[in-house]
Amino acid sequence: MTWFEQEIFYVDPLAISVGICIAFFAVLTLFYSWGYMPRTRGSLSYYLYILLTLATALGAVFASNLIVLLVCWGLTGVFLYLLIGYGTKERTPATAKKALIIIGGTDAFMMLGIALMGHLSGSLDIQHIRLTLDHPPAVVAFLCLLIGILAKAGAIPLHTWIVDTAEDAPTPVTAFLPASVDKLLGIYLLARMVLDLFVMTPAIYTVLMAIGTVTILWAGMMMLVQQDFKRLLGYCAVSQVGYVLLGIGTGHPLGIAGGLFHMVNHAIYKSCLFFSGGAVEQKSQTTDVERMGGMARQMPVIFVTFLIAALSVSGVPPLNGFASKWMVYQGIIETGREGGVAWILWLVVAMFGSAMTLAGMMKLVHAIFLGQPAADRQDTGDQSEKTPLLMYIPPVLLALLCILFGIWAYALPLKHLIFPIFEQELIFPGIWQPTLATVLILIGIGLGLILFISGRLAKTMRQTDVFIGGETLDAVPGMRVSGGAFYNTVQELPVFRSVFSLAQKGALDPYVMGSRITLGIHRYLGNFHTGILSTYLSWCFLGMMILFFVLLFR
Amino acid sequence: MIYILYLFFFGFLLTAVIGLFGSWIDRKLTARLQYRVGPPLLQPLFDILKLLKKETLVPFGASKATFLAAPMIGLVSVMVVSTVLWVNNVDSQNTFMGDLIVVVYFLLVPSISIIMGGFASGNPLASLGASRELKLILSYELPFILAVLVAVIHADFSLRLGDILATQAKNGVIAVSWSGGLALLITMICMQGKLALVPFDTPEAETEIAHGVLIEYSGPLLAVYRLMKNMLFFALPFFIIIIYLGGLRGHGLHLLYGALEYVGIVALITVIRNTNPRLRIDQVLRFFWGPMTVLAIIAVLLALGNY
Repeated sequence: MTWFEQEIFYVDPLAISVGICIAFFAVLTLFYSWGYMPRTRGSLSYYLYILLTLATALGAVFASNLIVLLVCWGLTGVFLYLLIGYGTKERTPATAKKALIIIGGTDAFMMLGIALMGHLSGSLDIQHIRLTLDHPPAVVAFLCLLIGILAKAGAIPLHTWIVDTAEDAPTPVTAFLPASVDKLLGIYLLARMVLDLFVMTPAIYTVLMAIGTVTILWAGMMMLVQQDFKRLLGYCAVSQVGYVLLGIGTGHPLGIAGGLFHMVNHAIYKSCLFFSGGAVEQKSQTTDVERMGGMARQMPVIFVTFLIAALSVSGVPPLNGFASKWMVYQGIIETGREGGVAWILWLVVAMFGSAMTLAGMMKLVHAIFLGQPAADRQDTGDQSEKTPLLMYIPPVLLALLCILFGIWAYALPLKHLIFPIFEQELIFPGIWQPTLATVLILIGIGLGLILFISGRLAKTMRQTDVFIGGETLDAVPGMRVSGGAFYNTVQELPVFRSVFSLAQKGALDPYVMGSRITLGIHRYLGNFHTGILSTYLSWCFLGMMILFFVLLFR
Repeated sequence: MIYILYLFFFGFLLTAVIGLFGSWIDRKLTARLQYRVGPPLLQPLFDILKLLKKETLVPFGASKATFLAAPMIGLVSVMVVSTVLWVNNVDSQNTFMGDLIVVVYFLLVPSISIIMGGFASGNPLASLGASRELKLILSYELPFILAVLVAVIHADFSLRLGDILATQAKNGVIAVSWSGGLALLITMICMQGKLALVPFDTPEAETEIAHGVLIEYSGPLLAVYRLMKNMLFFALPFFIIIIYLGGLRGHGLHLLYGALEYVGIVALITVIRNTNPRLRIDQVLRFFWGPMTVLAIIAVLLALGNY
């Protein structure tokens, strides 16, 4: 389709893969929202915004002209702002404004980058641009576009809107936008830049990997000390984007494929986590980790989907998180083969990040599902409403996808979604295909045995009281270990104490610091607006004199 | 099909037998150090068989499915890890790329199964123990990864266990180099943490939280956990032997050396176990993230410099 002789849409395997994923998550979000959102008068526009977001996101993905991409990108940001507004917390308007300012502000950088690219290459069409990064304007263009991508995907230091959105927006919005669509859009553009638009240099790759590593580490540490579980999931989402950046930053086909695969996997299990969390939130009417507990008995299906997604995030084999992380690690080792020391830092932080993610997820699993129920909920029993069936479908489907994409990683997602993006055949000598498949089948047999033996044991078991050294739990109702204080030990280590307290106060958030500085200057300058006419006239007169001097004596 | 055979014989039977034997060495040596006689050779096996005959008790307030399933998930993962290790030791051509990462990740799963079991018990002491186990994992993972990287660097940047073994067959064991020896030391201390033995057995502190994580487990489930720990008692030293000491080679004098290496590692673990007090969890965190990480970074830098 052309307009004024410009191609509007460009369809290639990368766009198709990302487009399929975006559409898939839109469908799941619609199902889930129908069960989650209350049926008020304003909710019609909520569904309208979700559909419009789908349309503009697909427009951005399939765009051939950079202007079309920019417009659709910006529109997605606007709809994000409108959708966040459906949240019911006190801070929701402030959070929506923050998201719009961060995403909209970085859109300005993208505009600058696109203008530079158009100027340097003479064309605004993706299929015709291929810039080499050897002179400063091209590097500036790349960095401007990178700023826009990092804001949308949510890497340090532009990640703060995701965390607040996770806490304040309604859960389906969080599962749809920050967790899946925005990341898919952002990484789609990054992949386009790395593969087609620019000829990359090792220096730029190192910048990408450094940003990715810092993201993994920083978000991972912040994740451990959160009290609100949606905020914790938000930090987890930010941390996983670091892996994608690390994978794409390796510059090797295996690493880039791993990064793209990780993005798809991340969208799957992050949405699953948010959907399950939303079901729990609806049942328990709170998101504070201190006040939840013991929900596994009331919501067994949600517990299982949450557990599968939590193990996937941590990268436990044989689920899909492990498959993509493995590919990213292989890519990092390939860069290490070429010499240098930095790859060690990337690899160690990446693997340590898995441990941190595992720690955070286990904290959530315990605090929400296992453990003892909170004191004020111990006697309510099961009076809360049943979760609608439509809210069960997305998490169950996504959890199944986690398992499928993990065990049959080669037959399903990699072969059809990821590998077609690369023109050359990705050949891996000795890769894990036949032998690991056998090992995994053996694991499956093992799991079958587990279920069988558990069933036999369950028939002959006897229930007793809990043993806490002679007391009984009923007599000591406050004796429970909630999830809130889990990682106090980490928080109180000497180096981390000051960093965490600074971060909690917002001192390390560019948006908050930026707004404080701006408003401070504003307040200072506001002192000049006294309202007295003679003062204003004096200032005008002074300005006129200065102008005359400058113009006369140039 | 050959792998099912490997799984059953090597992954399960041989690992269990050697693990039980190692556990006996540990208990006998401990007894000797404490001027006692110590148990007979088959005592660890008798313990497990005794537990299998007892009732299964599940506390009120526990999540039954997780409580019952957690021990077996741990056992299956140890079986898979030891299968991969044995396959690499016996026939390193037939393995896959990047299996070192698979082993490192799979070694997390037994700890996860203990943690899930603790959480599912519905007992506050178990939850405390499980949260301590989580912090323990966080602390030793960092120097452990760095130390394992030393072996990767020596093997010419390959993540295949088979390549690490091949490099050692050609150039001699990694442990004799400066970086390798330092890495061996660090990994042994991290292994003490992985096995949750004194001075790092904070999650299962007998005197503080009444055996913490496993407090509600009894009967066949406790037998499975005990078996899992005994198999880990072999699998982890075996992992160290493969990465740093060239694996268990089967011919002639090497077999004796291999046996001596294993017994030596077990003896070292026991001696450390008996001569140290238990650390608090914040001391554990500071220890692993402080001096051990610094040593591990030094080892990696030495390895990069070809020492």
